[in-house]
Amino acid sequence: MSHPVSQSADKVIDHFTLFRQPEYQDLFERKKKEFEYGHSDEEVARVSEWTKSEEYKAKNFAREAIVINPTKACQPIGAMFAAQGFEGTLPFVHGSQGCVAYYRTHLTRHFKEPNSAVSSSMTEDAAVFGGLNNMIDGLANAYSLYKPKMIAVLTTCMAEVIGDDLQGFIQNAKNKESVPADFPVPFAHTPAFVGSHIVGYDNMIKGILTHFWGTSENFDTPKNETINLIPGFDGYAVGNNRELKRIAGLFGIDMTILSDVSDNFDTPADGEYRMYDGGTTLEATKAAVHAKATISMQEYNTPQTLQFIKEKGQDVAKFNYPLGVAATDELLLKLSELSGKAVPAELKLERGRLVDAIADSHTHLHGKRFAVYGDPDFCLGMSKFLMELGAEPVHILSTSGSKKWEKQVQKTLDASPFGKSGKAYGGKDLWHLRSLIFTDKVDYIIGNSYGKYLERDTKVPLIRLTYPIFDRHHHHRYPTWGYQGALNVLVRILDRIFEDMDATTNEVGKTDYSFDLVR
Amino acid sequence: MLQEKLQEVFNEPGCSTNQAKSEKERKKGCSKALKPGAAAGGCAYDGAMIALQPIADAAHLVHGPIACLGNSWDNRGTKSSGAQLYRTGFTTDMSELDIIHGGEKKLYKAIKEVIQQYDPPAVFVYQTCVPAMIGDDVEAVCKFAAKKLGKPVIPVMAPGFVGSKNLGNKLAGETLLDHVIGTVEPEHTTPTDICIVGEYNLAGELWLVKPLLEEIGIRLLSCISGDGRYNEVAMAHRARLTMVVCSQALVNVGRKMQERWGIPYFEGSFYGVSDMSDTLRTMTRMLVERGADTAIIDRAESVIAREESRVWRRLEPYKPRFEGKRVLLFTGGVKSWSMVSALEGAGLTIVGTSTKKSTTEDKDRIKKMKGEEFHQWDDLKPKDIYKMLRESEADILMSGGRSQFIALKAKVPWLDLNQERHTAFAGYDGIVNLCEEIDKTLSNPIWRQVRLPAPWDTKSGEV
Repeated sequence: MSHPVSQSADKVIDHFTLFRQPEYQDLFERKKKEFEYGHSDEEVARVSEWTKSEEYKAKNFAREAIVINPTKACQPIGAMFAAQGFEGTLPFVHGSQGCVAYYRTHLTRHFKEPNSAVSSSMTEDAAVFGGLNNMIDGLANAYSLYKPKMIAVLTTCMAEVIGDDLQGFIQNAKNKESVPADFPVPFAHTPAFVGSHIVGYDNMIKGILTHFWGTSENFDTPKNETINLIPGFDGYAVGNNRELKRIAGLFGIDMTILSDVSDNFDTPADGEYRMYDGGTTLEATKAAVHAKATISMQEYNTPQTLQFIKEKGQDVAKFNYPLGVAATDELLLKLSELSGKAVPAELKLERGRLVDAIADSHTHLHGKRFAVYGDPDFCLGMSKFLMELGAEPVHILSTSGSKKWEKQVQKTLDASPFGKSGKAYGGKDLWHLRSLIFTDKVDYIIGNSYGKYLERDTKVPLIRLTYPIFDRHHHHRYPTWGYQGALNVLVRILDRIFEDMDATTNEVGKTDYSFDLVR
Repeated sequence: MLQEKLQEVFNEPGCSTNQAKSEKERKKGCSKALKPGAAAGGCAYDGAMIALQPIADAAHLVHGPIACLGNSWDNRGTKSSGAQLYRTGFTTDMSELDIIHGGEKKLYKAIKEVIQQYDPPAVFVYQTCVPAMIGDDVEAVCKFAAKKLGKPVIPVMAPGFVGSKNLGNKLAGETLLDHVIGTVEPEHTTPTDICIVGEYNLAGELWLVKPLLEEIGIRLLSCISGDGRYNEVAMAHRARLTMVVCSQALVNVGRKMQERWGIPYFEGSFYGVSDMSDTLRTMTRMLVERGADTAIIDRAESVIAREESRVWRRLEPYKPRFEGKRVLLFTGGVKSWSMVSALEGAGLTIVGTSTKKSTTEDKDRIKKMKGEEFHQWDDLKPKDIYKMLRESEADILMSGGRSQFIALKAKVPWLDLNQERHTAFAGYDGIVNLCEEIDKTLSNPIWRQVRLPAPWDTKSGEV
């Protein structure tokens, strides 16, 4: 008897091919007819066309209440990420337990690494009576179960709505001997209904520094020659932090990265399970108050932290996810200025090689139009790099972007002839971007994995260059910062351009006159 | 309201764990109190979302701050053969001001905007912790919106803090019973119409089963909720029989459909050869008891005979390769029992399994099959899993995504069994898929590499 399904006995085929077989297509068709009660194909096509129009865009931009496909996450995930960059640190999320499962999964899907965090598991009772007991028991359990060197406490919405006082609670828990009195338990209030993950990052770094440095203003704190650097929330942290350390090493600068997740999110498969790995040591964090300066790689990730550091008498410098030649130049000059050391010869060579590479390929980039979305700093850094390549950033969109950010983007665009068709969209989501791309076409989209639906709908190729990247593996292991990083970004963009070129010129006898071996 | 609902769900008589409890224990509810400070799984909202999101043509709107949706939209590998709207993330993204002034108006506006932009057959609105705490009356807003906008707008009342993911599944079931099932009449019915509850079509699993049902002559009237359409769920009450998959999570739906519409239900599984065959047999027998043509029994038997001989023939090549290979199963638990029997059938040895979400009955079954000595754990810390793997008590770990890396670090092959898997394991074909995956994983050369010391750590490597 013949088998009704086309899965063959000898070769197991995957779901891509299996469900394309006629039997399945027929099954799907019947389902559609019997159960979907949809409109006719013509009507669907008509409306689909209409969603590409200016008229629809106007309606889309008139949305007031609904957010569709946001490109931001919440404060706690940013705070958790920040805490995970310190030695032996267990993030402890005060609030309901489900949130933590989301954060962990989200980070794991991107980094392909485990990450640890616990929750005080507040339930309805705790919501009514306050979460003090959860904090007391939770800290005791976390301390004895997971043996951390530090527990960094942050909050979910729930604890924030009822107004739990973290400082008091932690003191209470220490009085009850949940953890030893001298055990470090820094904290940050991180309500998800304010700001986004980048604000949470800022709050947690400030919380941890406050714990070690004290709250008081002290402009006279004695200084030494070290320099601190805060990377910000960065999906490429594994590659980038290591690149930054290499650069500091070449300079001969004693640099402390405040929150270095690079080892924690990239543990080797050598048979040792590391619940925590690497990270900024607590000793170095403590000592970092004496650094002469602190550099923030992402301004919008660190406004409060930098203000706090200033009050300790340090110089501060801020960047916006520096990508490319000029942005890296600025970073290196700043390092040189702060340390009094010349830019190392090795890096000068790397610069020359990067410039050479861009010169080799610029014709493929010149005048190409891009949509860029992601976190505010990434959008700024990426747009700047694009213009440096002779490409044009057209739609620059960030759900976490503010009016101030929009102005800053505009200023960056105004500074280059390649920025004339660009516009910044703060507080907008990916459904807005869809309308933008349909009504004002671009050649490429730069964003994250969520952009794949935009790519499918608009047929504009997507280049994945920012967090989260769930559907491609291991990109986070390569740097995007420094000249070497810029080279990686350049290659990623070029690869996509060439792939797209091949894909649109490969029809035999029709378009293949341009299917060239040499590009 | 919500409290009553919770008590009702906790008292579920269809749940075997519940039946085994004393009156007092039952009052406490069925989700264990979580231990503060220990790693924990998803929340009730997550559970409700997971259960309903596969209804692919509906809009799923999350009323809450960015946390609940921002970290989670489109995070499930559940497939749809048509509508794709379920992949789009909708949220009210509540801000501080919404919390001070209340989010009801914003929610209404959001529902309106979703309907204006997408015209879905229905909108599911998910209550979350924050609006629940500030007292947003989501049910009232939905009722008002439904009336005003002329569309079903369904409140899903499962804010995260009420409990676990599993509880959220149940509350999602209650939502369907209260607002959806029974609201649409099918154009025609047949004596073999069935409803499957608790099957999510992950990686297309339902589609490995559906053609067999059709061949037997069984019509899948409604699936809750894999490859689901709003209308098909709404007409589930016209099914002649309900099959409840995943024993614990949605048994309340099966039982209440029986109570309200007299539809008998049974608990079955598509995982494993014998379970699959049992399911087909039970299905046809019960349909015939309700008046379907007895011919379906014969057709089922011939399908079973053909498929079983085919599947064992196809598993034969794996047997020598699997001989002596030991498996540690660490899933949520519901799949444990059925997987254990299937894998043993393919020649693997199961050395232990987690039973966190399994029923007492499931545990007894495993005990009966494997003996008292067999490891069954309710909960294992990552460190303990790691230790077991390190001490070479197993050759492969089969588990959900979150423990994947423990296996990798312990140098033991790992296979994804949970919601994030990319291969379908249901039905007869699914078992072949599973064994193929196990074989690939066990025989991949990297595992040898991972276990061997680096050349400079051995004598011969020294220069």
